[in-house]
Amino acid sequence: MKPSTVKINKMPSRFKHQVPKYKVTRSDACINCGTCAKTCPYGVHERSEGHNKVKPPIDYKCIGFECQSKDFCCITKCPRKALSLSLNPMYNTLGDPRWTADMITGTWIMAETGYPPERTDLDYNVGNSGGGFDKLRFKFPAKPAKVDKAEISTAIPLNRRKDGRADVVISTPVYGGGMSFGSVSLSTMVSKAHNATIWNTFTCTGEGGFPDILKPYCDHVITQVATGLFGVREETIQRVKIVELKYAQGAKPGLGGHLLGEKNTEAVAKMREAVKGTSLFSPFPFHSVYSIEDHKKHIDWIKAVNPTALLSVKVSTPNDVDMVAVGSYYAGAHIIHIDGGYGGTGAAPDIAKKNIAMPIEYAITKVHNFLKAEGVRDAITLIASGGIRTAHDLAKAICLGANGAVIGTAELVALECVRCGNCESGRGCSRGIATTDSVLADLFDEKWATQRLTNMYNAWNVQLVDILQKFGMHDVSELVGRTDLLEHIDYSH
Amino acid sequence: MPKKYHITPKPAPLDMDYVFKFTIVRGENCINCGKCIKVCIYEAHKRRTDDPRKMADPNTVVCRNCFRCIQECPRGALEKSINKDYSNIGGAFWKPDILMSLWKQAEDGNVPVSGAGYRGPFTGIGFDSMWTDMSEIVRPTRDGIHGREYINTGVDLGSKLNHLTFDSNGQLISVVPETIDLPFPILFDITAYKLSLHVKEAILKAASVIQTCLIIPVTEITPELEKHSDNIIPSLASTDIDKHEAILKKARLVAIDYSDAMLKDFQALKEKIKKHNHALTIVRVPAVKNVEEIVAKLTQNGAEIIQIVADYRGQEINESSGKDGRLLKDIIRAIHSRLVEDKIRDSVTLVASGGIGMAEHVPKAMLCGSDLTAIDIPLLVALGVRVFEEPQKLLVFPEGLDKIPSRKLTQRIVNLMGAWHSQILEMMGAMGIREARRLRGESGRAIFFEEIDRESFGKLFKKEKR
Repeated sequence: MKPSTVKINKMPSRFKHQVPKYKVTRSDACINCGTCAKTCPYGVHERSEGHNKVKPPIDYKCIGFECQSKDFCCITKCPRKALSLSLNPMYNTLGDPRWTADMITGTWIMAETGYPPERTDLDYNVGNSGGGFDKLRFKFPAKPAKVDKAEISTAIPLNRRKDGRADVVISTPVYGGGMSFGSVSLSTMVSKAHNATIWNTFTCTGEGGFPDILKPYCDHVITQVATGLFGVREETIQRVKIVELKYAQGAKPGLGGHLLGEKNTEAVAKMREAVKGTSLFSPFPFHSVYSIEDHKKHIDWIKAVNPTALLSVKVSTPNDVDMVAVGSYYAGAHIIHIDGGYGGTGAAPDIAKKNIAMPIEYAITKVHNFLKAEGVRDAITLIASGGIRTAHDLAKAICLGANGAVIGTAELVALECVRCGNCESGRGCSRGIATTDSVLADLFDEKWATQRLTNMYNAWNVQLVDILQKFGMHDVSELVGRTDLLEHIDYSH
Repeated sequence: MPKKYHITPKPAPLDMDYVFKFTIVRGENCINCGKCIKVCIYEAHKRRTDDPRKMADPNTVVCRNCFRCIQECPRGALEKSINKDYSNIGGAFWKPDILMSLWKQAEDGNVPVSGAGYRGPFTGIGFDSMWTDMSEIVRPTRDGIHGREYINTGVDLGSKLNHLTFDSNGQLISVVPETIDLPFPILFDITAYKLSLHVKEAILKAASVIQTCLIIPVTEITPELEKHSDNIIPSLASTDIDKHEAILKKARLVAIDYSDAMLKDFQALKEKIKKHNHALTIVRVPAVKNVEEIVAKLTQNGAEIIQIVADYRGQEINESSGKDGRLLKDIIRAIHSRLVEDKIRDSVTLVASGGIGMAEHVPKAMLCGSDLTAIDIPLLVALGVRVFEEPQKLLVFPEGLDKIPSRKLTQRIVNLMGAWHSQILEMMGAMGIREARRLRGESGRAIFFEEIDRESFGKLFKKEKR
C-alpha cells in the first residue's frame, strides 16, 4: 500500500521531442488535405490554421504498427496513400543490450505518468542482455486466488535482528543508491531524498558527506562510511536511522574511488574536510579491516556513536560473498547489501565494469542459501543492487532470495538520463543530472525531478502489486526465495 | 624491492580518418535557428564559416550520443543513426567498440573510463564467458592500484624445477635451468604479417621501450633491426638453424615452428641451438585439435617454452571442424590441466597467442593456465589499422603510414601497452594478487559462466529428465 504522501501528477519531459521508435514518412503524393491531422488522436500530424501545408510528422508521438488496427489510423485514412510507417533508425542509437531503448522509453513514460505504459509495443520489463534476469520469467498461475489489491502490502522491515534498535519499515521494497555530493547535481540529490521521504523509504548520501541541504529529509537518508572516510562525522552518523559501511562498489569492485582534482570544488572540499583542488583517493579496502573480526570492530564503532541506528554493509559480489554476508551478520549488521558486477557508476574503468565480480543474479541465490543454511536468514535483511532496472527485475530478485533492492540508474533514467556514459567527462552530464557545472545543473528543478521519481516509484509499486496479486499473495515477504515461481527460458523448456 | 616497472604514455594522435559511431543528418526543414549550437556541449553543431546564416553539417566525430540536439530541435529536423563505417569494421570477435577503444588507448595511453554501468551482453563466448574474482573483507590486498605496495607484472620464461636436491653435505646438486625475466607478460609477434621495414622498426623499438621481445621471421631481420637484437626473437623452421648462425648467436630466445619430427628428438634440436649460443627455445605450436597431446609430449621431451598459436579470433586451427573449434580460453585450460595431471606443468612456460585483443584477455589467459601471452593485431590496430572479419579476414593499413615518423608509431604502441599495464594492475589489485606469476592457472580467482550458471540457475531451473 502506498503512503498517503504519494501524489501522482503528470510530469512531462523537459524536452520538446522524445526519441522516436517509429518514422512516419509523407510522400510527394500528399495533397495537404489535412485528413491525417484530423484523424490522429496522438498529435503526430499538425496543420496550423492559415497554413497550406501540413507540418512534418512528429514521429515520437506515433504509437506504431498497432495503430493500423484502429479506425483512426492515418495511413489507412489518407486518401492519397501518401503516408507510410517504418522503424526509426534513430531508435537504434538509444540504449544498449542491458538497457534497451524500449526499457528507457518505458521508464520515461512511468516517470511522466506514474503508471506502467499503456502502449503494448514496448518490451520494457526485460532487457536484451541474454542472461540473468533477462532469461527469467514468472510462472503465473492460470487461475490466481482472488486478492484485493488494496490489501496487498509491499512494506518490508529493515531491522530483522530484534536487537532493540530502531524498527525501520519502508513502504516499498526498494530504495535509492548512494550518489555522492559532487557527483550529481543538487536537484538530483535533493529530489532523491525528497522522493524517499514521500515514499517512506530511503536514499543514500554516497561517500563524501551529508550536505546540510538534505537535513530536512534525514529520517530517510542513509549516510555512508566509505574507505576514504570523507565527510564522516559523529553528528552525521547520529542524525540518521541507517548507516552504510561501503566496502566496495559493483561497478569497480576492489578498485576504490578517485575524485579528480577539478571536481574537488570549494564546497566539496569543505564537506570532505580536504584541500580544494587536490585529487582525493578512496582507497581499497578499508585500511582498518583485514578480517571479519576487524569488520565487527567497525560496526561496534558506529553502533557506539549512534545507539539506535541500523547498520548496512555494502559489499560487491566476489566468489566468497556468501561468507562475507554471514560474517557481517555475526559482526552485527542489520542489512547486507550486495552490489552486483554490472552495477552503475559515475565513472569506472571499462575493464572493471565488464570483468570483475559476478552478476547480481548469482550472488543473491548464493547469499540467500548460505544465510539459510547458517540458520540466520530471518535475522538479516538482504538487499540486492547492481542491475535492478525494472519492477520485474525487483520482483525476480526477491524471488531469488532478496528482501528488497537498491536502484540507481533507474532513478536517473526517470530524470531523463539516456545512459550515454559521459557523466565524468569535461563538464559532466549534458542532461544536467550528474554534473555540478553551473549552467548544466540548472536544466531542471527539484520539483520536477521529485515528481518524476515519485511517479516512477508508483509505477513500479503498481507492477509489483500486480505480480503479487497474480500469485495470490498478500505481502511481498511471501515472495522471498520463491524460485519455484520463476522459470529460465534456457533450462525450463 | 625492484624498481617499479612503469610505462610512460605521451599523447600521439594520428592524422587519420576516424571511424565514428553516429551519423547526424540535418533535414531540409532546419530553420537555421542555432538551438543545436546552444544545447550541444561537445560542439558538434556550428554555423558555416562561409555563410554564417546557415548551419554547417554536424561534426559527428565529437558526438557523445547525448540526444540533446535531437530532442531540442524546434523542428525535429535532426536525425541520428549508427554510422555505416562503424557497423562495417571488425566483426564478431574484433567488435567495432574494441577497435575504437584500442585506437583511443594508443592515442593517449589512458585506461578507458566511462560512466553508467556495463552496457554489453550478460556473457559471451571465450574470454567473455568468465569474470575475475575480487577480494574484500575476507582476503583483501592492500591498496589495490593506488598502492604503496608494488604489484609485480613480471614473469619468467623457461623451465623451472619442481624442487631442489642437495647432497649429504648440503651442497646443491640440482642444475637450475636458465630463465629469462620479462617485466610484463606480453610478447610481440609479427610472424603472420607482411610489414614494411618502417613499421617493423617502430614495433621493435616499442618492444625495447617496454622491455619485451618481438618474434619476427629470421629472414626479415635486417641490419637496421639488429640494433635492437636484445629484443628480437628470431623465428625459423627447425631445418634452417644452421643457415642463420650469425643471428642466432646474438639471440636470447629463438622461436622454432613446430613439426611432428620434433616429438622424436627434441633434445638434439635444443643441442643444435645451444651450439650457437645459450638461447632458450620457444616452440610455436598451432592450436590444433590435439594440441594438449603435442604440448605434453614436447614438454616431456624437454621443451622449455611453448607458444600456443590460435587463429586471429582465438579459435582452434582446424580446417575440418570450422565452427565447433575450441576457443583460446578452453584450449589453454585443457593444456594446463593436462600438464598438471602429468605433473610436468613447471617444466614448461606457456605463451598464449591468437585472439588476445584487449587488456582483460591477458590476465584471463593467465588464469586459464598460460604464463604469459603474445599479441599481434593490437600492435597494428595501435597504428591505425582497421580489421575486417567479413567476408574474410582483411587488415586495412592507413594511407601514408610509412610517412608518419617512426617515433610517433612507437609511442602509440607504448601508449597501448601502458594502458594495458594499468588495466592489468586494476584486475590484479582487485583479485588480491600481487605477483603476475601467481595468476597462472589460478582458476579459483576466476568465475566461469558455465560453472556458475549450472551451479545456480541450472540447479534451480533445470527440469528433471523423466
